[in-house]
Amino acid sequence: MSQLREEVETAIARALAEALPELGDVDPDSALTGDLGLDSVQIMNLVMEIEDNLDLSVPVDVLAEVRTINQLTAQLVKLKEKQA
Amino acid sequence: MSLFEKFRPLAQTRAGLGNSGPAPIATPIDRVLSATRGIIDGQEVILAGTNNYLGLTFEPSVIEAASTALAELGTGTTGSRMANGSYADHRALESELAAAFGWPSAMVFSTGYQANLGVLSGLVSEGEYLLVDSDSHASIYDGCRLSQAQTIRFRHNDPENLDRRLARLGEDASKALVVVEGLYSMLGDQPPLDEFVEVKNRHGAWLLVDEAHSFGVFGERGLGLAEQAGLLAEVDFIVGTFSKSLAGIGGFCVSPHADLELLRLASRPYIFTASPSPAVIAATRRALALLVEGSDLRKQLHRNINHLYREVKAMGHELGSADPGPVMAIILPDRMTALAHWRGLLERGVYANLMIPPATPAGLNLLRISLSAAHTEQDIDQIVSALQSMREQVARSATG
Repeated sequence: MSQLREEVETAIARALAEALPELGDVDPDSALTGDLGLDSVQIMNLVMEIEDNLDLSVPVDVLAEVRTINQLTAQLVKLKEKQA
Repeated sequence: MSLFEKFRPLAQTRAGLGNSGPAPIATPIDRVLSATRGIIDGQEVILAGTNNYLGLTFEPSVIEAASTALAELGTGTTGSRMANGSYADHRALESELAAAFGWPSAMVFSTGYQANLGVLSGLVSEGEYLLVDSDSHASIYDGCRLSQAQTIRFRHNDPENLDRRLARLGEDASKALVVVEGLYSMLGDQPPLDEFVEVKNRHGAWLLVDEAHSFGVFGERGLGLAEQAGLLAEVDFIVGTFSKSLAGIGGFCVSPHADLELLRLASRPYIFTASPSPAVIAATRRALALLVEGSDLRKQLHRNINHLYREVKAMGHELGSADPGPVMAIILPDRMTALAHWRGLLERGVYANLMIPPATPAGLNLLRISLSAAHTEQDIDQIVSALQSMREQVARSATG
């Protein structure tokens, strides 16, 4: 696993643990709304936390295509690569 | 599979609000009697959940202006501004709006929602950026979606967070439009406009202030938060609505940039919509004159605001904003408590708004009260008394 992907996964895990402390280990293929039960506002807040952790701005349209944690990870890795 | 299947969670949310008594969402108002009175479920109530901040909906000269235009110019324009719907009164209203700000250009839209849709989507395009406060109104988000620009949210009322995001854009920050509101309608809070101005100036970005809820309310001439803060010269665009302090329907954008006129050629929500009816425009012109002259109305509104805030703070309610304003959001611990407060207030003759997630920030359950210059001191006393009585009832049921 690349160092960048690891950094992104850590940031997501940290933000998820803060948003849903009761969750425990999460399957990376979990859907943010369907499986984790997050509503659109909660997802926006979650992403804000991750953005702060990664020093990254995530365009809103990128989120529209994201359903699962894995997809979120992939998109954030792509954005970080572009930033670098 | 039914196309309606995806709406089931919304239907469940609505069903969870119960079906006894008037619906708390899209509450049927049987009849409006005045700016502050209506009939709901057969009972006369104080209207404390409208956006009628200056109470001009029944102002005789506004009604007369609308009636005259209706009789003389007909019921509708039957076309867009780009075709047959650009009457002398539309242009006169634009001139009057521009003159109020001392700026060269103003555009009128058919609704406040369309003003944001039309300005944001038309003005900011591919290769450019929209930086919007995360608590922005749906019309701002929808304007961003319609735009080809890249949309980035910053934390609510957080200039430092905006600063970081503009810094990440580097030189491209000069192609970024920062969007904030003069008053956020859910919690009733205001932005630190001076700090946002400092940040956007440092990065060379542009600034739009949506004064939908602050126009008519703040500033010596009622032009909004930017006027009150002495920052009009630092703002590039102000968007507003006719459906709150101006007591009609429609929206506008004013700008110190004369090139705003070019947006008429590029904004699809402006081009492909029928223009506002003559009666609406005439009423708005009269209401605008009253608004700009209306420091007495604003004084009365702020007396009412200070009265209510003082009393409700003393009750110990948690409020959405410590700064008194025309919107008071009482934060309640859960949906059912908020619903109980809403129903309790209605039973006591006060109509307010129930606001629940996902329409609210941070998943809050709110009882939202909005005030008008037309409310009397007795009206405020009745609202306070209803809130006090509800608070005692909830406390009794908690201990009982």
